[in-house]
Amino acid sequence: MSLSRRHLLALSAASLASWRALAQDAPLPEIASVPAALKGSGEVRVVGYGGTMQTAQRKAYNDPFEQLTGIKVRDFAGADLNKVKAMVDTGNVEWDVVQLSRGSVKNLLKRGDYFEKIDYELVDVANIDPAYRFEYALDMLVWAEVLGYRTDAFKGAVPVGWKDFWDLKKFPGDRSLIGAGGSSNPELEFAVMAAGVSPDKVYPIDVDKAFAALDTIKPSIVKWWETGAVPVQMLTDKEVVMTSVWNGRMAALQAAGVPAAISWPQGLLKRDAWAVPKNSPNKANAMKYIAFTTMAAPMARLASLIPYGSVNDKSNALIAPAQLAKLPSAPGIKEKLVPYDYEWWAANRDAVLDRWNKWVLA
Amino acid sequence: MTQAASAPVLLVGPLLLFMAAFYAFPVLAMLARSVTDPHPTLANFAHLAGDGVFLHVFGTTLRTAFIVTAGTLFLGYPVALALSRMRPTAATITLVIVLLPFWTSVLVRSYAWMVLLGRRGLINEALRALDLIDAPLRLLNTPLAVNLAMIHILLPYMILPIASVLRQIDPSLPRAAAGMGATPWGAFRQVVLPLSMPGALAGTLLVFVLSLGFYITPALVGGPRDLMLSQLIAQQVDLLNWPYAACLSVTLLAATLVLLGATQVLPGVRGAFRLGTR
Repeated sequence: MSLSRRHLLALSAASLASWRALAQDAPLPEIASVPAALKGSGEVRVVGYGGTMQTAQRKAYNDPFEQLTGIKVRDFAGADLNKVKAMVDTGNVEWDVVQLSRGSVKNLLKRGDYFEKIDYELVDVANIDPAYRFEYALDMLVWAEVLGYRTDAFKGAVPVGWKDFWDLKKFPGDRSLIGAGGSSNPELEFAVMAAGVSPDKVYPIDVDKAFAALDTIKPSIVKWWETGAVPVQMLTDKEVVMTSVWNGRMAALQAAGVPAAISWPQGLLKRDAWAVPKNSPNKANAMKYIAFTTMAAPMARLASLIPYGSVNDKSNALIAPAQLAKLPSAPGIKEKLVPYDYEWWAANRDAVLDRWNKWVLA
Repeated sequence: MTQAASAPVLLVGPLLLFMAAFYAFPVLAMLARSVTDPHPTLANFAHLAGDGVFLHVFGTTLRTAFIVTAGTLFLGYPVALALSRMRPTAATITLVIVLLPFWTSVLVRSYAWMVLLGRRGLINEALRALDLIDAPLRLLNTPLAVNLAMIHILLPYMILPIASVLRQIDPSLPRAAAGMGATPWGAFRQVVLPLSMPGALAGTLLVFVLSLGFYITPALVGGPRDLMLSQLIAQQVDLLNWPYAACLSVTLLAATLVLLGATQVLPGVRGAFRLGTR
């Protein structure tokens, strides 16, 4: 009862999805050397979300980073925006690098000076899209929130995009979408696309239009999910025929043999980002860690272990084709996705959630 | 102060200090936030009173707590009674069975209910096999699922206090009642039941208070509108809206305290949490 949501998330992942998608023995691109500027001494404390992700990060990032730079990595689970705020507020900062989203970083920055600026002098900026770079955070993990469906539910018909998700005649059955819990926001983007807005015109979101579209689908939504394991469980148990879902979870589900598939078009391209809390004890090492991990090879190592994409343009060439086909950052998939607009959400989140809470309970 | 009088203070002193430093202070500091952050204000509480979402969620939370408490009492009392009348070996085995879910993670038990109540779950499959239904019933992701799962999870908290009080009842009392011509039911109703009330009330309060703060189970097995207060608090924390989250927490704590206070006024309850020195 006192478990935190992150904790819950990690536990759920362990208990539900079998995570066979983690290709433990995939051959990983080797890294021969690093720029001299990244070498150092001492330690860096990195905080992620635990579970399979952190195991993969250890193998992809931490091991070569320690060997090549001489900086020791101590990693912890339980990345949490509220903890960053509490640490900085009380002047007791224990973390150097934290895995968050740019939206979270922006939300906290609205309340004060909580993060250090990223040292882009060290970063491989030539190969990282400006869209991934932000003054106070650097995107480092590309994932997608997509339409997942049971392939045995519609006699072979394949739903493509959110108009189909909203089409209860052609694709009958219960559905699920994300709720307003955790650090996620309601999927207003999907609602406006269902209402006919073209993917490149989604932002700024017409909130009235989104809620009008949500009104029509609401009776078929059996669950507003909060943790990533729930949509996967509901697809597995046929509680729903279609749901929004995180692409990494779907890979695990398919690996477990469930007849389910991703429909990529009109999914949301989202990112996790590294951020450095204000006055972190090992700030210089934090910047080196961030620069190292976003280089092509470390990014490719991670994407080879777990189906989340890279922010570095040079990574794709280093990833095996079979694995690349599962990544939201792969050519042929990335273009189908709508890049999530963290700026819009940072500016509108409070108002949307206020309205959302009333709407959900009405 | 005499030595005899100061001894209890010395005994509880370490715990008291620990609780003050690591529990009372942080809790009070957090609660203070509801009226001081960013400056002294009652605006959060004013907002609360007019917040339809809060009122709805608070209503859901109270209703769930009532149903779960009634359910555990109804199911738990007979088990406690049976437990109190068993031979030691059988009682030990039964106690282990009662405690087994107690030792299992809330998360695992919630998932177990997902397996049972699912569209292709045990219950639906059984009903289908018996030709009682044509299409699977929607059991999971409903208020029913929340109530069932919470009753299951909280049952030990009801059974244990009742059983412990029942075991302390002198067995010669119901025998005496029988000797004076009472039927078994009469002896139970007029002797055992009144004497067991402190246990039943202790269990009731425990279960009710624990229900008010439930988070994971409703999130996992609840339906689209079954938002509990702790979920709303978590959401506000994630929105970095700490003062309002603190304000919601104060309200939950106050409601709990008022309830505990009110029950202390009821006859027969005062002894519920006293040590058994009857």
